[in-house]
Amino acid sequence: MSTDTDSDAETDGDDPKAEADVQDNEARERLVDLAAAFYDQFAAGDVPTMAIPTRTKSNIEYDEEAGVWVYGDRESSRSANSVRGARKLLKAIYTIDFLAQQLAEDRSSTLRELYYLSESWDEKEAQFADQDESNQLVEDLEIVTSVAREDFHMRPEESGATLMGPLRLREQTRRGEREIHCQEDVGEGGYQIPNDPDTIDFLDCDADFVLCVETGGMRDRLVENGFDDDYGTMIVHLKGQPARATRRITKRLHDELDLPVLVFTDGDPWSYRIYGSIAYGSIKSAHLSEYLATPEARFVGIQPADIVEYDLPTDPLSDSDRNALENELKDPRFQTGYWREQIELQLEIDKKAEQQALASRGLDFVTDTYLPERLSAMGVL
Amino acid sequence: MTAFQSTLGEEKDIAGELAENQRAISIAEFFEKNKHMLGFDSGARGLVTAVKEAVDNALDATEEAGILPDVYIDISESSNYYTLVVEDNGPGITAEEVPRVFGKLLYGSRFHKREQKRGQQGIGISAAVLYSQLTSGTPAKITSRTAGSEQAKYFELIIDTDSNEPEIYAERETTWDRPHGTRIELEMDANMRARGQLRNYVKHTAVVNPHARIELREPAGEFKSERATDQLPAATEEIRPHPHGVELGTLIKMLGTTDSYSVSGFLQEEFTRVGQKSAANVLSSFRDRQFGRELAWSPPDREACIEAVHDAVANKSKEATETFAVAVADRVREFDRLCHHEVAEAAAGAATAATEETGTTFGDTVQERATEAVWPLVVESREADCHAIVNDATTSRKDEAVVRALARRIAAKFNADIGDDETDDDNTTDGRDRLTYDTLRGYVDRAADTTVERDEVAVGDTAREKITEGLWEIGREVPDDPPKIREIADDRDTAGRLLRAMEATDVMAPPTECLSPITDELVLAGLRKEFDGDFYSAATRNAAVHGGDPFIVEAGIAYGGELESEGSVDLLRFANRVPLVYQRGACATTDVIKSIGWRNYGLDQPGGTGLPNGPAVVMIHVASTNVPFTSESKDAIANVPEIEHEIELAVREAARDLKAYLKKQRSMRKRREKQDVLAAILPRMATKLADVTERDRLDIDDSLARIMNNVLIERTIEDNRVKLVVENHSATNESPELTEIVSAEPSGISDGASVVEMDGEWFIEWSPTVESGSEAVLEYALDGTGNSNGNNDDDGGSDEPSFDLDVSGVESEKVTVNAAPTTEPSSTTTTPPTPSTSE
Repeated sequence: MSTDTDSDAETDGDDPKAEADVQDNEARERLVDLAAAFYDQFAAGDVPTMAIPTRTKSNIEYDEEAGVWVYGDRESSRSANSVRGARKLLKAIYTIDFLAQQLAEDRSSTLRELYYLSESWDEKEAQFADQDESNQLVEDLEIVTSVAREDFHMRPEESGATLMGPLRLREQTRRGEREIHCQEDVGEGGYQIPNDPDTIDFLDCDADFVLCVETGGMRDRLVENGFDDDYGTMIVHLKGQPARATRRITKRLHDELDLPVLVFTDGDPWSYRIYGSIAYGSIKSAHLSEYLATPEARFVGIQPADIVEYDLPTDPLSDSDRNALENELKDPRFQTGYWREQIELQLEIDKKAEQQALASRGLDFVTDTYLPERLSAMGVL
Repeated sequence: MTAFQSTLGEEKDIAGELAENQRAISIAEFFEKNKHMLGFDSGARGLVTAVKEAVDNALDATEEAGILPDVYIDISESSNYYTLVVEDNGPGITAEEVPRVFGKLLYGSRFHKREQKRGQQGIGISAAVLYSQLTSGTPAKITSRTAGSEQAKYFELIIDTDSNEPEIYAERETTWDRPHGTRIELEMDANMRARGQLRNYVKHTAVVNPHARIELREPAGEFKSERATDQLPAATEEIRPHPHGVELGTLIKMLGTTDSYSVSGFLQEEFTRVGQKSAANVLSSFRDRQFGRELAWSPPDREACIEAVHDAVANKSKEATETFAVAVADRVREFDRLCHHEVAEAAAGAATAATEETGTTFGDTVQERATEAVWPLVVESREADCHAIVNDATTSRKDEAVVRALARRIAAKFNADIGDDETDDDNTTDGRDRLTYDTLRGYVDRAADTTVERDEVAVGDTAREKITEGLWEIGREVPDDPPKIREIADDRDTAGRLLRAMEATDVMAPPTECLSPITDELVLAGLRKEFDGDFYSAATRNAAVHGGDPFIVEAGIAYGGELESEGSVDLLRFANRVPLVYQRGACATTDVIKSIGWRNYGLDQPGGTGLPNGPAVVMIHVASTNVPFTSESKDAIANVPEIEHEIELAVREAARDLKAYLKKQRSMRKRREKQDVLAAILPRMATKLADVTERDRLDIDDSLARIMNNVLIERTIEDNRVKLVVENHSATNESPELTEIVSAEPSGISDGASVVEMDGEWFIEWSPTVESGSEAVLEYALDGTGNSNGNNDDDGGSDEPSFDLDVSGVESEKVTVNAAPTTEPSSTTTTPPTPSTSE
């Protein structure tokens, strides 16, 4: 699927709309093929079944070639054998019907809309109980049909993440093409990343590296201190656990513009997972790792080592923090010497620190001292 | 002084007066004052008890005569009194017997018999008569007609409570419509407050007597129970007492009256299950108790033995003496251990051999002297032998010196006793080391006590027991003849020893011909008849014994259906086919039911103990030659461990079937629910799929059958051949019974099906066995019928054959029938087959 989308992005054709339609047809066909497979199972007197990879930590493995984590061989099946399985399949078929129709009509909808839309279906058994269920089902369909959600024209409710930095791009909007410079044509808030970043073409870039920042406060600090200007930085605001679009654009910035990607988060186990999902791919969307993950992304901090080195104000680790760290030690994505060392150090000092803790050394400390020091040490500056 | 004198005199007078007042109390008078003991403590209860006694008698009498009981009970209210009439179709009672049967307490034929009967003591019906006369002042009116007599006899009588003798008010011939039977009419001060118990009694009696027809009429209604079987209960046979079930007094009485001369003969003659072998075992055990055992020790050195015999024998030639001595020594050496009488036997054997060889006679005296010479040598082994036994019996931690000292002390007790015994004529060791177990234990205890005292070590009870056991083991049974019957009968102690010997000997359980269980089949029939449930189970245990009386426990459970589902289950208790109405809480059956964890068996049991809840009836029947009741009123079975154990096993056995049934019900319900949901979801799924893929409508029956692990039956018609395909998607083999009802004559029917024609319809029946995962094809042809030409598209055809398929033998939840004629668009109609009856 990544090849499909990538080639699409690289196609600089005269009629991008026509290209997109082919894509839509392909996606639609795959959905109908899946329905046809169920149909054939019924016709043969078999029990309709859909097998999908088990989406748990224990079933992801490292893909040497792509350098990302993908699903392993373990599969769980949704079979009409049980009442539960039959309900799931019924919902899947209704959703297939809906998505196929949506693609045929060239419309789009959000995940949340799908959930509410199901309420209007005549078949009560096909309605979703909650949005988790519909989200999960869309993920199932993504995996089984090898078509990304975006190509079903399904959007998340909001992404909201932003870009700021010396980059000129062209976005395909509903009102036609727009050329935007991510410093000059945007306000303080930066450039809003669209739901499908593959509608963007990069035109012109003066940036030297990409810095993904977890919190809004830190992102605003960097912008206010002119860090993007001073160091030629593409500042990507992650807004916590990054949305797919954010991860996708990060990967494209790296792959297409050859920019190093650096991740700057809080110094706690949850933030390491944010880094993990950018660099290695998330467990929930490991089927899209090749499309979303940037294996070359590197972690800036806050490292547990920084807490010690800069003597940052800290909070003690809670029980859930410690559990999360222990779990990360067992997480196949974190099985590197660097992470083992950092996590064990954190467990030992039993402390965590936020990005904003750097302010204890003054508001400019992060832009004047911490980042330049860290980035130099990492060979980026 | 005078005062004293007069007091003495007065005292004499009082004693005299008292003596004058002393007199025998008639049994009737006693019970007049103790009505409650017989279940007549109130008007309400008195009526129930009177019915119970009369019905028990009626059932016993009819069964004994091999007649299917037909019992009629009528209760009517007249002014202040109730009149009870109970009629049966029994053999009748002769005119001579009637007054005594009804007018004398403790008159009966069964008290002395070991046989399962409802009544036993001969109190019941006469007590009812007594109750009637005491409360209403009117005599009992009895009509009885024996088979073949022209007329019935009619009596009016009361019981003279002073003499416990019947007093006849009227006696005459009368006519009666019954050819034989007995009718009793009692008037009594009573009430119907115990109507519930009365009705329960009659209903429950009907459950355990499915061979009886019982009718009850009372002021508020009537109840009738027809018989469910024509099979009379197996006739019971009286049995002799069992050795484990007699008391000392009974034994002495039996010893006094027996014709047998020897103990062995007596045992075999008077007791059940005692043959030659058991008698020998009892005798051996009796000898041990009566005479004790002779302890056997290791044989002495050969040379020492020869020398001793040599010295003891005088007046014989040297060669002969030598031969005798060597013969004695050789025989003695043949034993591992030998006791005194074995030494004597060795001497006797040697004497015979020596006489043969040398021609010299070695008489009794010489043998005796030789025995007395050799025995002291044998006895020398005591200490070493005791040591070995003590060593084995005590823990290895014991100090060797202590063990040795203990062994020496025990061995010494035998010597010490010889001294005692020379003056004392008591039968202890006699110098022959002959002693009873108790004496032996005494030796061990005394020796152990000394050891405890001197050596300051503990010798516990277990060790003492083991040492005693060890020594008792090396004891030999004595060859003495047991005392004769007369002697035992005259000596209570000896009789007691015999009784203990009988109790200690393993004897086969008593025979069960004396018992008449209802049998599990008839328990089921009885429950079915009286309770409208969905499920019934029953269990009859094998006979067991308590105190020499054999007994059989049966249990039955009825569940579901119309049974009351609120509150706890109904517990039906029976003893010898008689319902127990009162004192449920005091009954062993109740205790057992409460102690069972019913949740295991699928019944609700709040707190996990006590009576379970739910729509169920649990019945327990204890049949015995002597049911142990808690009181004379026979309302509750006593807590005898053996009986409780059997009750538990019987109930658990029946409950296991219930559990399996409930489990199956649950899984069937789940399956039904699953099928319902899937039957709703899958067709919609199929419709939607056809929509999305823009293909034809789907037939999903195969998939549905596979999902439900079902048996799928489909009919197809092609060129006049009708095919029924039975696909088994379940995990086990299935044997459905298919009945195809077709309105045209079939031919070429496959698989050996039977065909029956009825009013223009043909019933074809197959019963194939289809293995799990495979299918069976059942076929037949319809030729020459109507205008059918192989195609069913001829709309004008009016005699299109009709089909109807009925499936049984497989739970309806597991069957999917898709047998609509092929002319119609295939639909998913599922013909519900007749539900198979659960067992």
